[in-house]
Amino acid sequence: MKKYLLASGAGLAMLCQMAPAFADVSIMYPDWMSALVEPGISNFEAASGQKVNAVKMPGDGYEQRVAVDLAAGTAPDVVVVDSFMVSELASAGYLYDLDDKLAGWDQFKYYMPGLLDVASYDGSVYALPTDTDVRMLWYDKSVFEKAGIEMPWAPKTWDDVIAAAEKIKAAGVENAFVLPAGTKQGEAATMQGFYMALLGADTPTDDRNRLRAWDKNAWIGDSPALRRTLDLYKTVYVDKELTPASINYETDVGAAIREAISKDQLGILASGSWEFSCLWDCNGINIPSAEERNATLGWTPWPGSGAEGAPATTNISGGWTLGVSAKAADPDAAFGLLTSIFDKDNFAKWTIGEHRMGVRTDITESAEYTSDAFLAEATKLAATTTGRDTYPGYAKVTTAVQEATAAILDGASVEDAIAEYKATLEDEFGAEAVITFK
Amino acid sequence: MRSQDIRPWLASGGPLLFVAALPAILLVGVLLYFTFWALAFSFTDLETVGAKAVNWSWVGIDNYVRLFTRKGFLESLWVTLQFTFFSAIVGQCVMGFLLAVALRGKTGRLRALVEVSLMLGWLLPDIVAAFLWSATTSESGLLNQFIVIPLGFDPINFRNDYALTVVILANVWKGTAWSYLLFTAALDSVPREVLEAATVDGATSRQRMWRIVLPMIRPHIATNMLFITIWTFTYFSLIFAMTGGGPGNDTRVLAIFLYLQSFDVHKLGYGSAISVAMLVIVGGLSLIYLRLLKEPK
Repeated sequence: MKKYLLASGAGLAMLCQMAPAFADVSIMYPDWMSALVEPGISNFEAASGQKVNAVKMPGDGYEQRVAVDLAAGTAPDVVVVDSFMVSELASAGYLYDLDDKLAGWDQFKYYMPGLLDVASYDGSVYALPTDTDVRMLWYDKSVFEKAGIEMPWAPKTWDDVIAAAEKIKAAGVENAFVLPAGTKQGEAATMQGFYMALLGADTPTDDRNRLRAWDKNAWIGDSPALRRTLDLYKTVYVDKELTPASINYETDVGAAIREAISKDQLGILASGSWEFSCLWDCNGINIPSAEERNATLGWTPWPGSGAEGAPATTNISGGWTLGVSAKAADPDAAFGLLTSIFDKDNFAKWTIGEHRMGVRTDITESAEYTSDAFLAEATKLAATTTGRDTYPGYAKVTTAVQEATAAILDGASVEDAIAEYKATLEDEFGAEAVITFK
Repeated sequence: MRSQDIRPWLASGGPLLFVAALPAILLVGVLLYFTFWALAFSFTDLETVGAKAVNWSWVGIDNYVRLFTRKGFLESLWVTLQFTFFSAIVGQCVMGFLLAVALRGKTGRLRALVEVSLMLGWLLPDIVAAFLWSATTSESGLLNQFIVIPLGFDPINFRNDYALTVVILANVWKGTAWSYLLFTAALDSVPREVLEAATVDGATSRQRMWRIVLPMIRPHIATNMLFITIWTFTYFSLIFAMTGGGPGNDTRVLAIFLYLQSFDVHKLGYGSAISVAMLVIVGGLSLIYLRLLKEPK
């Protein structure tokens, strides 16, 4: 019954795209991961003689597309999914339990157990991580010079960041501080923007600086940390108008940010470690040398708010994964493609070439990895990082967070945005599963 | 014998007729099938991912109550009504009509130029049009470079400050061709003799328009309004690509709200209730137009 319901609801349009799925093996991935996936496909085709049907998608809307395809039962055999979706997809029965197959793969032992947790559900591994990451504030050095801000920049509190952004705005730069917001960028707005601020908004005691209070087994509907974080959004987008809200809703947000940087119209960007290549090209095509990139952009850890008990700096890590659809016609072949993509040579080349934070000890302990200056610095941030509150239902909470930031952008008060946020959580999980911190 | 030869072959028997009607029956069947499921979903808490994708349950009219008690639906409905009224009814319909009247009987370069320009907007894929409008209305875009800055003003970020206006204008630009073509054909159907007779009787051009032309093409107007209202009310791609419903929720029309609730929040049940509500609203508007189509007594 459920299969019928889902299949019919999600996908007449998808039916047209089912045809390629009947070929030997199929895979779906976002274009920014081409440099990892495509050589893996070629190697698999050469070794097995099987043909791979590759569906390459733009990054915008990829999250939604892959979820709908899996729900409708029309997804390709191998799928790239954001790590926070693994438990949601696995609990719906859409992903293939990889445990048995992984036991027979000689390279599995190198994966770091802590990083497999995000790709697991109920004790089984359902996907393999491609990388992990840390988050920071990127800044444009020429803009900082123009605004007369001392470098290397080392803000200690949110006020320092706002003060710098005000100087940048005064120097005539349109996007002084891009703090990802709203629904268009999906999870990126929650992770790169909201979470990074939230974690530094209050003391970590009792999870007061999180979305979920784990020991109370409840979501946090209202707290000083949530209010301070929304207030930061209000300061940036409404009170001080440090950046036009529309940059979060551009036709192609990534392209708009790159364009703003190239025109020296962007001061500070809240984003992550992948930007060391992605601000030029995620697949590393025709990008300047590391030295030239370092001359253009710098980065600094996200400072805490400066509130009493708040951490000095904050961090949160995410990452993407590759899994196999539960509907894969030939799971062995699909797993073969997966291991071909993650085969040491191919995986190491991508990890080091694109300066991604590694998930396997055989790569992270290699001389090439340890000698990479950017990765060495970024890895220091990883020492104090945390993960998302990926308890079942997180996918709802993250969209409620994005809605709350959108409401602030629309001019709503922090009070109203919080009230709506709390009401949304209560509607979803029941009032007993939502608590308030005073 | 001879008379049987010229009998239309389609009318020769029931089974053949049935075969000929099969595609239509299939189409209607599929439409009803999906409408039925959307209706059924709207009474469940079904989700696309997570545990409720498997263990969903019937929740009665909860989702419909949510339409009115939670933020989102009513706000999006208001944005949709503004978008539909200004871009479809005021923009496309009136502008298409005025252009058709102005260019009536004209031939030559001017008409060709206007028609080609209109058609270009219409034929361009929505996503391409979205990029075009984004580039035109951005802070460093065409509008600022060639109009605002030369006039001595500071550049304006149109999509930040006037997002809804920009998407309305983009949709007027995109859709006027349809109304223009339809009204051109409608005006051609008004017999020249009737208009000449009215002129002879001393009717002014305004009187000819109000008393003769408009009443005669009333069915065309109603048909046009019916089409463009349905299209515009459910329009998604151009707005989503241009603004993603933002900034904030400034341009979040119902189609975008439906998409976000169904595939971003993953609440397929609630999304279905939104789509059923949209169906009811569009159905209501269509009834009004269909009444207009009837001849007055």
